[in-house]
Amino acid sequence: MADLRTVSNTVKELIEKKKINKAHYTVLETETRELTYEGGDVKLLRTLFDRKVNVKLIQDGKLGSSGINDFNEKAIDKALDEALAAAEAGAPDDAYDIAPSIGEQSFSSGVLEPDMGKLIERTIELAKDIEKQYPKILVMTMIAEYSRVNKIYRNTNGSEAEIKTGNYSVVVEFAGNDGNKTTGISAVSAETLSLDKPFIEIDSFREGLKAGEDSLNETGFEGKFEGKVIFTPDCLGQVLSFCANCFITDDAILDPSSLWNGKIGEKVASDCLTIKLAPSDDRIIGKGFVTADGFREKDISVVENGVLKNYLVSLYTSKKQNVKAAENDGNGWIIEGGDTSFEDMVKGVKRGLIVGSVSAGYPGSNAELSGVAKNAFYIEDGKIKGAVSETMISVNLAEMLKNVAAISKETWKTGESVLPYICFDKIVISGK
Amino acid sequence: MIQDVIKDKKSLFDTASQTILREQENKARMVVIQQGSIVANTSQQSAGICARVYKNGVYGFSSIAEVSGEAAERVLKAATENADVLEKHAVKKKAPFSPYKNGMVLPKKCIEDLEQKKIIDFCKDVDTYIAGKYTDLVNRRVIYREDSAEKFIYTSDACDGHTIYPRCAIYISMAVAGKDGNPVELMDYFGGNGNLSDHVNNIEDVYKRADDLYNTLRLKAEGVYADAGVKTVILDPDVAGMIAHEAVGHTVEADLVLGGSVAGPNLNKQVASELISIVDFANEAFGQTTDIPVYLDDEGIEAQDAVLIENGILKSYMHNRETADHFGVKPMGNARGWGFSDEPLIRMRNTCVLPGKDKLEDMIASVDDGYYLTKTGNGQADLTGEFMFGINMGYEIKKGKLGKAILDTTVSGVAFDMLKSVDMVSDVPTWSNCGTCGKKQPMCVTMGGPSIKCKLMIGGR
Repeated sequence: MADLRTVSNTVKELIEKKKINKAHYTVLETETRELTYEGGDVKLLRTLFDRKVNVKLIQDGKLGSSGINDFNEKAIDKALDEALAAAEAGAPDDAYDIAPSIGEQSFSSGVLEPDMGKLIERTIELAKDIEKQYPKILVMTMIAEYSRVNKIYRNTNGSEAEIKTGNYSVVVEFAGNDGNKTTGISAVSAETLSLDKPFIEIDSFREGLKAGEDSLNETGFEGKFEGKVIFTPDCLGQVLSFCANCFITDDAILDPSSLWNGKIGEKVASDCLTIKLAPSDDRIIGKGFVTADGFREKDISVVENGVLKNYLVSLYTSKKQNVKAAENDGNGWIIEGGDTSFEDMVKGVKRGLIVGSVSAGYPGSNAELSGVAKNAFYIEDGKIKGAVSETMISVNLAEMLKNVAAISKETWKTGESVLPYICFDKIVISGK
Repeated sequence: MIQDVIKDKKSLFDTASQTILREQENKARMVVIQQGSIVANTSQQSAGICARVYKNGVYGFSSIAEVSGEAAERVLKAATENADVLEKHAVKKKAPFSPYKNGMVLPKKCIEDLEQKKIIDFCKDVDTYIAGKYTDLVNRRVIYREDSAEKFIYTSDACDGHTIYPRCAIYISMAVAGKDGNPVELMDYFGGNGNLSDHVNNIEDVYKRADDLYNTLRLKAEGVYADAGVKTVILDPDVAGMIAHEAVGHTVEADLVLGGSVAGPNLNKQVASELISIVDFANEAFGQTTDIPVYLDDEGIEAQDAVLIENGILKSYMHNRETADHFGVKPMGNARGWGFSDEPLIRMRNTCVLPGKDKLEDMIASVDDGYYLTKTGNGQADLTGEFMFGINMGYEIKKGKLGKAILDTTVSGVAFDMLKSVDMVSDVPTWSNCGTCGKKQPMCVTMGGPSIKCKLMIGGR
């Protein structure tokens, strides 16, 4: 293990020696231990040690950045020269900046010493639990991982933050299989700090595996109709990611044609919808503490009771477009549970779908989403009729957010997010 | 070029295991100009050494971000220990991989570093041209991306070698206001093996691409929504290549076949029209070197072409050494890892639908009511062969003639059903050389093909 402070001091001295106007830099080490279970047996055990020095600098109002995974002084010197050369070739922009000082801070969270024996035991146990309790599930791959990051962030405004984090994660890729027939791929995943309870007890795992088995019982419908779609919490996370990309992130806000540009304080969604990013919440494991820009990470509201409150933008975009910087890198998506049980939500659907994921590319700036509904079930007269395939959904995401029909009481806590089922109305659904 | 520091470490390989030692460096550059502002201007470099040890059916793997003889010794030891730990938990013991020849494979091209200034000047030049000429754009971007890799590979019982993959991509995107006021956007891209200087000899050629892109975008801005439903379509090579990769290629990767893919029960069966043949080329196709030429894979297997579908019959899967043994065939060099800390996985290389005999104009003339789909930005498929592709540009075909442009839409289908509906295949294949495939790790790939006429489901509103 290298002394990160010594390496960080080297970077600092070189920045001073080269008379660099403004810079921020991160020196970090990562350790990853990963078990792969495949084909009904343990398959691969990996231990990975990586390190990085990332530098962003502003010289004469111009931006350059570079990154290497070498702690050698000569290599760092060369990386700084490359960033300087890149800046020199660029163009000055008043919006380039680094965050103000956050002083000296130290953060530590999660599991800093892994119990690999227990992680292997829990993973094999999960495979056995699935085999016994969900006999029509074919596990393709299961990856259980421990990862730890130690880093020091500094900038030339005087910030210095030492951060240590570590956690376990598990992801299971599977399909429904009854010998003759295989469904499409599904997955469940979560981050955790504790190996005290079996993985099968993690939020969403049982629901996901049951849906995988249920996918074998197909039904179908013909034609096209406008109906309600219930997104599972996992799928809702995917849809939120589409929405963020279209409406609130750097690319969107730098794009003058983006649909939520200039709409802070305006109503953009149904009254019942409140979306926040809250990494400080106890249910969120993935804490960043300091953002990529160098701000102390904060909780922010994106949408509050349907009103747009904040964009998720960097310092550069905030200065360029005269909006508030997010001071959050997109960690900790939370939508609290609503007042409708999932069961009642289904009963409230005359004709529609439950959708577990959407096979689609990222929508463009017009926010038109058109994709194949995967791990999807057809609902008619409040009853789930069976799984569907080759079924497409089409909707404009900006319009969809204004058509929330219900939010479930139940939420899935994956360590990265806390999300409910949400039922949206007026979505175009096309069958075979 | 990186120095080979692992060559003399083969003597440390555990004789009871099958071992690979790999030294690797990846370089990446990115310049993004959006609306005239440089929003990204970065270079990244990452190097290290990894070892993989195979023993009785389990793998131990370790990597470290250090390029030295000592680092090689440490990863060899750690990978061996990991294999030993896992072996105790394994239920099934497996035999060693089948024997393979020894040899040495050397690279045919080097990575040439280009000054970041040249890249930035190029991007600024293109952006200035677009901004000056097309003042009605509501958004514009010029992006240069480079991701290159160099590897030294030493194996206990296969070939050793030195491999190099230099690659770049240039993207130009524009948006204008559509009929309803909402933005309509379109992107063009080009690139492939090498760096900027290999793909831009004359800046006027790039201006011409920008002009073509703008003119096409203007047609799209006046476009209509496609009618939803099952339609006769002609897929341009850009889209046909995506089908070869996403909808067919992934289902015939042997690890996914073992995971239950639709290709499993269909080997040596008719899965497509007799007009369809698909090959995953190793390093040469149609008499030319491909843009991702793979001569040696990361398990030390010399790369050869893998014929996936021949005249509509599913002929083979793509393999690593383990799955090749499982299915009793020869591996063809498909096992590749992206970074120094990535284990080799079964990956496609240059996957292409082979050309047929038809002329594109005859194909269009043969469609009474359908669509000509020319650009795709993304695609996904799963084990069942069910796929979707985003369509970013296309045209109506009415009574054998091209009609109005269409707005963004999505097409979907089931690969083998769709391929059985193919009744015309054009005679000119083209490649899309800037692909990055995602399967646990990213991977550089190319895909290509001719135009094909088939039936599939098109989304509408």
